Amino acid sequence: MGIDLVSLLVSFLIIIALLALVVYQLMCLADLEFDYINPYDSASRINKVVLPEFITQGALCLVFLLTGNWLLFLLSSPYLYYNVRLYMRRQHLVDVTEIFNLLNWEKKQRLIKLVYIVVLLFFCIFWMIWTVLEDHDDEL
Amino acid sequence: MQPMGNEKPGPPSFPGRPIVSPFVASPPTGMPFSSPGPVPGPTGYDASGYRNTAPARFNGPAIPPPPLPYGPPAANSYQRFPTPQFPSFAQPVPPLGGPPSSGQPTFPSNFIPGAGQQTMPPPPSYHLQPQIPSVPMGPPPPSVDLPAARANAPQSTLPGVPSMQYPYRQADPIPQVPAVQTSPFVAQRGGYAAPPLAAPMGLSLREQMQYSAGGPPMGSLQGLIEEFNSLSVGSVPGSVEPGVDSKSLPRPLDGDVLPQSFMENYPLNCDPLYFRLTTSAIPSSQSLLSRWHLPLGVVVHPLAESPNGEEVPVVNFGAGGIVRCRRCRTYVNPYVTFSESGRKWRCNICSLLNDVSGEYYAQLDANNIRIDINQRPELTKGSVEYVAPAEYMVRPPMPPLYFFLIDVSVTAVRSGMLEVVAKTIKSCLDELPGSPRTQIGFLTFDSTLHFYNMKSSLTQPQMMVVSDLDDIFVPLPDDLLVNLSESRSVVDAFLDSLPSMFQDNVNVESAFGPALKAAFMVMNRLGGKLLIFQSTLPSLGVGRLRLRGDDSRVYGTDKEPALRTPEDPFYKQMAADLTKFQIGVNVYAFSDNYTDIASLGTLAKYTGGQLQYYPSFRGSLHGERLRHELARDLTRETAWEAVMRIRCGKGVRFTTYHGNFMLRSTDLLSLPAVDCDKAFAAQFALEETLLTTQTVYFQVALLYTSSSGERRIRVHTAAAPVVTDLGDMYRQADVGAIMSLFSRLAIEKTLSYKLEDARQSVQMRIVKALKEYRNLYAVQHRLAGRLIYPESLKFLPLYGLALLKSIPLRGGFADAHLDERCATGYTVMNLPVKRLLKLLYPSLIQIDDYLVKAPDDARDGENYLRKVPLAAENLNPKGLYLYDDGLRFILWFGRMFASDIASDLLGVDINSLPDLSQINFCARENKISRKLMELVKRFREADPSNYQLCHIVRQGERVREGSLLLVNLVEDQIGGASGYVDWILQIHRQVQQSA
Repeated sequence: MGIDLVSLLVSFLIIIALLALVVYQLMCLADLEFDYINPYDSASRINKVVLPEFITQGALCLVFLLTGNWLLFLLSSPYLYYNVRLYMRRQHLVDVTEIFNLLNWEKKQRLIKLVYIVVLLFFCIFWMIWTVLEDHDDEL
Repeated sequence: MQPMGNEKPGPPSFPGRPIVSPFVASPPTGMPFSSPGPVPGPTGYDASGYRNTAPARFNGPAIPPPPLPYGPPAANSYQRFPTPQFPSFAQPVPPLGGPPSSGQPTFPSNFIPGAGQQTMPPPPSYHLQPQIPSVPMGPPPPSVDLPAARANAPQSTLPGVPSMQYPYRQADPIPQVPAVQTSPFVAQRGGYAAPPLAAPMGLSLREQMQYSAGGPPMGSLQGLIEEFNSLSVGSVPGSVEPGVDSKSLPRPLDGDVLPQSFMENYPLNCDPLYFRLTTSAIPSSQSLLSRWHLPLGVVVHPLAESPNGEEVPVVNFGAGGIVRCRRCRTYVNPYVTFSESGRKWRCNICSLLNDVSGEYYAQLDANNIRIDINQRPELTKGSVEYVAPAEYMVRPPMPPLYFFLIDVSVTAVRSGMLEVVAKTIKSCLDELPGSPRTQIGFLTFDSTLHFYNMKSSLTQPQMMVVSDLDDIFVPLPDDLLVNLSESRSVVDAFLDSLPSMFQDNVNVESAFGPALKAAFMVMNRLGGKLLIFQSTLPSLGVGRLRLRGDDSRVYGTDKEPALRTPEDPFYKQMAADLTKFQIGVNVYAFSDNYTDIASLGTLAKYTGGQLQYYPSFRGSLHGERLRHELARDLTRETAWEAVMRIRCGKGVRFTTYHGNFMLRSTDLLSLPAVDCDKAFAAQFALEETLLTTQTVYFQVALLYTSSSGERRIRVHTAAAPVVTDLGDMYRQADVGAIMSLFSRLAIEKTLSYKLEDARQSVQMRIVKALKEYRNLYAVQHRLAGRLIYPESLKFLPLYGLALLKSIPLRGGFADAHLDERCATGYTVMNLPVKRLLKLLYPSLIQIDDYLVKAPDDARDGENYLRKVPLAAENLNPKGLYLYDDGLRFILWFGRMFASDIASDLLGVDINSLPDLSQINFCARENKISRKLMELVKRFREADPSNYQLCHIVRQGERVREGSLLLVNLVEDQIGGASGYVDWILQIHRQVQQSA
């Protein structure tokens, strides 16, 4: 098992974690929309995981970069840029006072992220399988 | 005004112009539009009156006012009538015109016969006549003749006609120039049946006819006025000046007019005072809605004070509980229907059949009406108040609670704010609502926080100073909030000593953020109202702010909107927390310098409060205003820990809400403290592509705790018809509600976009709306050179212009102080429709005649007050004018105004060029001055929610005149913004583009 495979496995796990964080935020927003929780709880739950999400994503990029997965790194860099930009403008947290007016936008934003992550996941799996097959080829 | 069949594209669903409706607003001409005429029924849906199908002969609506010479208007008589009058082309004049006095009667008679026929494609000959009627606006007799002459002209005149028209129009100022087709002759000829040979031509001619409103003859002519109004904006042959006659433009000199159609169509609706739809006709489909470019929504003013003092009836269901729909929770209301001999009722909103409980049961009469209906206000009145039982409480009803957070830094003391505030609070203690449960507390701050223990066992309040701003704690948490009646003497002692306690304070710092947190900690067990008096920029601890907004380069860049939003997230977070604990915040800001109103106002915005801004406050000059407004704030009836929800029928859904509140769920507005001066706006959308119901019902419910500790629900119910015709939507439009939504949307837009973008979006929407309206009619009528608009929206362009020039939206960096911009913005978000319109288009009244000539008994004096349009050209240098925008008065002295009267009024010689900003405006010992004071008092009483300070300014007084009055004359061209005439031309051009 080469170092490639290990790094891909690690990034696979990170991607899964990222996926979970984003899905959790989406669930909070959906709950809010259907009035299962109040905006205060919803906003504080979401805001609790926003930074972890950003950090996880940063870590993912770092892993890609360090292990030389250039393509995957390129693929995830727009996401990184977007997060950094939000953070720099201090717009990364959900605003509890305006949460209902922004609900659609917040949801859309996270849905796009979700799709993005899923695509990334597929690439990662593909790469992993590829690497495994190549390892096999080498052995032969 | 009556509908002419002609203008309608097809058989409209409301055949007539809703007799009912929008015209009410139509103003100065005071026309008898309403002439009941043939139109049956109050509904306005009944088309029969004017359909062409109906005997074309006479058009009901057109029935002339009583003075008309002919007797009962039998169709026949009309027919005969005209004949003699138009014997020859050349001669018509004498018979027709007559002496001016007789003009009125004769005139109408000519037109009337034709009225019925409009719908028919008239033969060419008729058309000519129509044009004639450039009816004289004013009484001038000569013009009367002319039309008549023209009218006779048979086909021969045809070609030339159009051009002839214009001159007349030009000559008379035409307030509203509806393109009307009247063909006087039609009836007499019987010829209207003739095939429309010349139809195209006829049409074009027809458009040219205009009526002007305003002159005596108008009475009957109004009857003929068409569906739409129009303004001629093209250049007029024969006149040098192209463009519009500014005198003819519509102006809302009478202020807001409540929409009548709303009540007339559905008499069980709540008063429009409480609930105003932007159009009382709901579009039936998404596609129709997409053509309505104006906002579709409501303005709700749940606790409005009825001007005639009418009280909302209180209903107590007792043990049985409040009757509500099982499924959608709608409260029982006048539109529910009872069935199965009274054992069931059908919810009007969700159509569910509910059981009637034993306690609420009553038999039905033959018409399925409950026999006890007269004892049931909830079934007969659109507005009722239910006494809510215990299940509507999550905790015992809270007592009214007032907590004062007062800045005592050096600026607050020096400006006199502290003294005025302390005295006012003291004078209001007796009138605070909810005695004996009322609770009260105080906290003052500069660079430290001062708490006051006011336990009733003490004789003097005990002051505790906390100077650790990073880790705030509340000493003696139990005795800071006390029951007012128990601790009254301590509170009195405190307020008496408060100004002197700090009179030597030289501390310039302000630990506002920590003080706010401390106040929150004191209040959060009960909730209540937090009144903040802040006179400097918060400079210490959490939530400190910095100077910003003095950089003109920021304007026009992407950073501009950030100036109007809170700088520190602390304020938003604080506001959210305050609302959560039922604390409403009212902010009083006083400062000469920048205080970052944008940040402070956020506290009021999300807690359902209000922001009062007193720039450059001086106790001696502005104290009266603060005294009055603070007293009103403390003594008005307040609804505590309230929530509001608007329910509506299936297929319609509220999407956005605009105003000062916080949303607790998608459709629940949380309002910790709400009162009669606050209105809210909301927009709704259609959920389904097609509405299948005939009527959409709305129900506003405000659940609150009254000051007496009773839980109550105020419910307003309204219904509006669903229509399939865009024209109906326009006809039922309510310009007041539309402007209210426009203003709120535009101000919200300035929070994330540049001012310029916000202004453009308003203008675009007005243009789109008028363009769409034009498209409705442009097909049949050649309308080149005219701007057409529905009667109901005749003030829309002007109010739109006024909005663009209003303080929150006007110009750029230099045109309004940033704090003032934000403060007015926050105010507008709260304003009820009537006060908003007054702020947008203030009244300007010439009062010198009144002061000098009017008899002393005030009732009779009204005729001497002359309301003039807001343009500098209307300011007579010999006159004295009062400008009133609801927030302040400005008294403008003309340069040549009699100086003896001026000195009687002011107590100084105005020619000696005194500093008028320092003059104390008060009653002097002479008759004229007393009369003026009485007048001012009367105007103030008309709107008690604000106290209008009177600013005095003299014509020619350089900077002050400009900044006080001239920039507010919305019809003038100011800076880069266009004047009214240019604006109309601009709108017209844009409407025409790619029309």
